[in-house]
Amino acid sequence: MTGPEFHYEPAHDLGLPPVERARSLRREAGLVETFGHWIWGRFVRVYFAGWHRLAVKGRSRVPAAPPFVLVANHSSHLDALALSTLVRAKWCDRIFPIAAGDTFFETPARAIFAALMLNALPMWRRSAGRHALAALRERLVGEPCAYILFPEGTRSRTGEMGPFRPGLGMLVAGTPVPVVPCLLEGAWRAFPPGAAFPRPRKLRLFVGEPMTFEGEADERAGWERISEKVESAVRALGKE
Amino acid sequence: MIRERLVGWQHAFDHRVTVWITAGVAALLVLACAAVLLLSATGFVRPELRRELWKRIASWAVLAPLLLAPVLLGAAWFIAAVAALSLLCYQEYARAMGLFREKLVSALVVLGILFVTLAVADHWYHFFVCTFALFPGIIAVVPIFQDRPQGYIQRVALGIFGFMLFGVCLGHLGYMANDWHYRPAVLTVLLCTELNDVFAFCCGKSIGGPKLAPNTSPNKTISGSVGAVVLTTALAATLGHFVWQDTRLDHPLPLLAFGLIVSVVGQLGDLTLSSLKRDLGIKDMASVLPGHGGLLDRFNSLLFVSPAVFHFVGYFLGWGTNLPTRILSGP
Repeated sequence: MTGPEFHYEPAHDLGLPPVERARSLRREAGLVETFGHWIWGRFVRVYFAGWHRLAVKGRSRVPAAPPFVLVANHSSHLDALALSTLVRAKWCDRIFPIAAGDTFFETPARAIFAALMLNALPMWRRSAGRHALAALRERLVGEPCAYILFPEGTRSRTGEMGPFRPGLGMLVAGTPVPVVPCLLEGAWRAFPPGAAFPRPRKLRLFVGEPMTFEGEADERAGWERISEKVESAVRALGKE
Repeated sequence: MIRERLVGWQHAFDHRVTVWITAGVAALLVLACAAVLLLSATGFVRPELRRELWKRIASWAVLAPLLLAPVLLGAAWFIAAVAALSLLCYQEYARAMGLFREKLVSALVVLGILFVTLAVADHWYHFFVCTFALFPGIIAVVPIFQDRPQGYIQRVALGIFGFMLFGVCLGHLGYMANDWHYRPAVLTVLLCTELNDVFAFCCGKSIGGPKLAPNTSPNKTISGSVGAVVLTTALAATLGHFVWQDTRLDHPLPLLAFGLIVSVVGQLGDLTLSSLKRDLGIKDMASVLPGHGGLLDRFNSLLFVSPAVFHFVGYFLGWGTNLPTRILSGP
């Protein structure tokens, strides 16, 4: 599904041992992982429909095919899963939640789970360097694929949305990749940081118009402008 | 009788060749450890080489029991092990080729391997042969429905090539387990094929001389290849004499031919994989086995040896001809 033609191109993660492969930003799914992602996607859909009665407004604004970046406020571990229901099952290998390395990839068991089921890619908060972001940017445009990203950088401890960091801008500045602002309401009450299990609260997901930043400069000032624009778009969704 | 063959571990050491080979492999491992210890004590080898040697021995210490146990435990275990080997080899092949991105073709090849395994476990030769013709057809036909002709030739051809190599060729190794006396035969094939590589490596290193196919595999020499043919043929013919004692195969000429097949065809399998790797521009297929690379780097010689030996021995004696067939699907 890389494109129309066939390329004799070895897997980009060829030769990596299993756990290192799970942590690699160049990881590519095989048959087993595809099955894992698909089954997990089915389960997540049923779970949100049943347990949280998830209501989506503006689903048709999500682009039909990658590349794109879904961006939202972050207040619980439910957020990335809820956003992943916006994407069709046929893209289950191409949509990567960007997850905190120290939470989801620290132990080998978690790393394997994150790779096999969630299809997450790690962002190491201690050393979230340009190198990792450059690799993500290259993959986003080149493969192409889709990311689920929370520009706040961490879950909100109060339920209020924090300021967006410029990392998002580093991914999309100067590219035609659309950024889709989303707002998830109710997740903080359903599953705040520290809670053991999610409560069966109603969730509402608002999807905004995709924004592109082809003309934006790929440098600090541009990254910050992008983050500000997307942040205000997400905030505006709450007042619609 | 069927049950005894499938899971009768009590029969593991019924045949003396099985005992010899099992004891021999254990002895070889111990001897190799002792040799490396001795060489390091005398300071004869450099530390890098010593590490490399230890890595190889450690790999073999894991690999040898993994190979021996399913053969000894019973036919069911062995057939399952061959199926697992086929699937893992296909996985390495598909990831190296880029074919793994074609999920549909990959799924069809996996299905084909499972059907071959089913036919083998069933002891139904007719169905076994059917899959060789039907699955290439299925792999060619089903992707039509994707309605995506770009790249069709490559993905279908690579899928069929993979099915032929790992489903069909390796499937013959599993089918040998449908014979009551499969243990000595299979162990002889496995041991001689693996030692064939070792002989070639040792002869090549100690004699040197012109390269065999410098563009395909820069480390192989003609001397190594010829040395391996001589040593492996001698070993295989000797073991074959005891495995097939007092049968139509137990004459010098057929035994010699058996030895030659194991050695020459084994080296050809090795060169086939080298050609694939060269064309793709990679050194190893994967890194599962420290010091060896991927499973395919280790078992490449077995790919063509399995069907060649199967049909050569089958011509003289057949495989499991006096045992019940269609044990799962039959009436």
